[in-house]
Amino acid sequence: MALNRAVTRDWSRRRAAKRERLEAVRPFTTGRVLDAGRIGDALHALLRPGDRVALEGDNQKQADFLAEALAGCDPGVVHDLHLLISSISLREHLDVFERGVARRLDFSYAGPQSVRMAQLLDDGKVEVGAIHTYVELYARMFVDLIPDVVLLCAEQADRQANLYTGPGTEDTPTIAEAAAFHDGVVVVQVNELVDHVPRVDIPGDWVDLVVPSPRPFALEPLFTRDPRRIGQVEVLMAMLALRGVYERHEVTTLNHGIGYDTAAIELILPTYGEELGLRGKICKHWTLNPHPTLIPAIESGWVTSVHCFGGEPGTERYVAARPDVFFTGRDGSLRSNRVLCQLAGQYAVDLFIGSSLQIDACANSSTVTEGRLAGFGGAPNMGHDPHGRRHASPAWLSLLTGEAPALRGRKLVAQITQTFRAGGVPAFVESLDAVQVGRDAGMPVPPIMIYGDDVSHVVTEEGVAYLYKATSLAERREAVSAVAGATPVGRGVDERRVEALRRDGLVALPEDLGVDVRRAGRPLLAARSVEDLVAWSQGLYDPPARFRTW
Amino acid sequence: MTSAPTPPTGWAAMLARASFIELDARARATALLDAGTARELCGPFDRIESPWLEPQGVVPASDDGVVVVKGELGGRPAVVIGIEQAFQGGGIGEVSGVKIATALSLAARDSRDGTPTVAVLLLETGGVRLQEANLGLATVAEVCSALLELRALQPVIGVIAGALGCFGGMSIAAGLCTRLIMTAESRLGLDGPEVIESEAGVAEFDASDHTLIWAVDGGTQRTRTGLADTLVLDDVAAIRSAVLEATAGGVPAEHRSRRIGELRARLEAVDPGDPPEPAALAAVWARKPPPGDVR
Repeated sequence: MALNRAVTRDWSRRRAAKRERLEAVRPFTTGRVLDAGRIGDALHALLRPGDRVALEGDNQKQADFLAEALAGCDPGVVHDLHLLISSISLREHLDVFERGVARRLDFSYAGPQSVRMAQLLDDGKVEVGAIHTYVELYARMFVDLIPDVVLLCAEQADRQANLYTGPGTEDTPTIAEAAAFHDGVVVVQVNELVDHVPRVDIPGDWVDLVVPSPRPFALEPLFTRDPRRIGQVEVLMAMLALRGVYERHEVTTLNHGIGYDTAAIELILPTYGEELGLRGKICKHWTLNPHPTLIPAIESGWVTSVHCFGGEPGTERYVAARPDVFFTGRDGSLRSNRVLCQLAGQYAVDLFIGSSLQIDACANSSTVTEGRLAGFGGAPNMGHDPHGRRHASPAWLSLLTGEAPALRGRKLVAQITQTFRAGGVPAFVESLDAVQVGRDAGMPVPPIMIYGDDVSHVVTEEGVAYLYKATSLAERREAVSAVAGATPVGRGVDERRVEALRRDGLVALPEDLGVDVRRAGRPLLAARSVEDLVAWSQGLYDPPARFRTW
Repeated sequence: MTSAPTPPTGWAAMLARASFIELDARARATALLDAGTARELCGPFDRIESPWLEPQGVVPASDDGVVVVKGELGGRPAVVIGIEQAFQGGGIGEVSGVKIATALSLAARDSRDGTPTVAVLLLETGGVRLQEANLGLATVAEVCSALLELRALQPVIGVIAGALGCFGGMSIAAGLCTRLIMTAESRLGLDGPEVIESEAGVAEFDASDHTLIWAVDGGTQRTRTGLADTLVLDDVAAIRSAVLEATAGGVPAEHRSRRIGELRARLEAVDPGDPPEPAALAAVWARKPPPGDVR
């Protein structure tokens, strides 16, 4: 049988297109350096209608100069773009749609712009492909969402366009790789051009164009929690989590969310945890950003290693001075990487613990509430039991599941929340707002953050529910109700049933865990203010101005 | 097994301190007095609550957020009046204001009757409680008047320890105190940053700019420019010893608030059209030599 080669196909159309694009911007460049003053003209020359463009909007850092330039494009020339943005944080990210420059959007998280996002969707200004988790969106950049042009940011570039990102490497290498190795165009705004970068975070031959930005890229201290705002209820929940989850399951590898609840856990390790003799037994290896509230635990010898998704403003000198704990480059500063840390958070940690805005009786949870389309970020990725895991650990094995011979352990996925949020809003609800929001937005499935069947533990000020022990959905619902306090969900379970659940080990109240509620107070916090964190760091932590009260 | 590492001295001292502001008002008042001498007056079990809060949907407090404790300070009769910042942001209402004013008046009466009684005010307050508007304002006037009555006889010491600070009407009371003790985290001002921003615009004062706020209102600046007297660490022992030292100073010949000439000279030294940077203010004022604290 002869192979049919009737048509001679051109196998390098993307390469040719890239060459054309770069040729078109040549008038605005000197070598690979793009004139910042001509950025508008350059984008008009570079972009084609319908292009798929990845705009670096990370969880923390933003390619804001390029975002502004993109939003300023003439929709008569540049239109119908398909944008890929992991975190929609800036006004300009959505201006692009309002002005008709872009039409289609795939994203992960829209927290700061969630209200406007919902409005634009309502007005038909934006077509959302899907809302992803971070790694999921990046994964698709290598499969069916390969970008034509990527707009990134870095701290410095040298003459060969080698990039230095500093501590906030975050997503840049991943997005760059998706474009650089599939004939996409890589454009990077840099804070400065230098002769030599302190270290190479992204090799220059991945980079096509560098533009010195007139101002440093925007960077938010998202992971700083002021210990002053931690109250006794958070401390109580931290005590319950420590005894009822961490100690009981010997959790050594973990990820924490960014709430005050988990900050409280970090801050009672050197006090309550020390008292319980748990140092060296739990909480040794972490995947999380350099949380300032972790400093006391690090300084008192609890923490062996921390791998980070991104940096955190103010922690640069501290991290650089603790290279045994953090991943640092030859320049001494932190090297972060969101995708690798998400991967670590998915496969290599035994526990994910975080809080949501709403939890239903089946333990499904969501941060999507009425009129807000916030998206997912990274939580669902870490907040699930990955069936691809094969290595065992005591914590994983303590949740033994499956039928022989397919016995396996399970990841601990804990939700921690007060039964009521600020203003008396119940955290436990009959139906998640996400269900309605998903219906209104025409989403194929409701935007649930963490699925109830992935949740192994729920921690509230009432106690701990061990959902992994539930043998039926009805039992799971009862266990959730038992710790849901006076919320509509909590009122649905009677006292005798709760007694039975305690006997069967599905629910533990503070007294069942040996937690003395009277001790739940701020004196248990190893640091009670940002000044205390500075003191713990021996002056190495430089809190951002907004957290300073002196 | 290794023992928990301890930070070096300095930072260790900072971490080892017993924070004053972490205590509630009752514990703060008690901690300042000589051990075993504290006795609360008009306490929560007397249930003197504000009648104005419940109708407005606010749960009242049985002490209305002000704690009056009598006892001894360095062996001398003393009354410590503490404002609880956790209740309504330390806001002063009709009842809490009258508690302060009455405590100061009674101390004045005792002082005249042969039992000299010093007073210490713990001023963690945003000023008058909005829910009690005019009644709150009226009681602040009573507080100031009672303070003036007592300070002529015995020292009245103000302490501002926390980041909440002392603002509004009660900042006037702070200004009338014989001596004022502040921490670096504490703040003192007539109008709070949010009030200035909402009244005069963000260009006038950016209430989100912590650096600016503390450069103007912070304890370090207030002490440096002579509007407060002593800058202390937020530490029970340090604050108690500062209070003891301040009471030992007795009644000055002329209180800060009476040094009108000096205050006027300070106003004249500043051009409102081209105000100095906060850091330069102390130097600007130093060029108009103040007469100093005459005792």
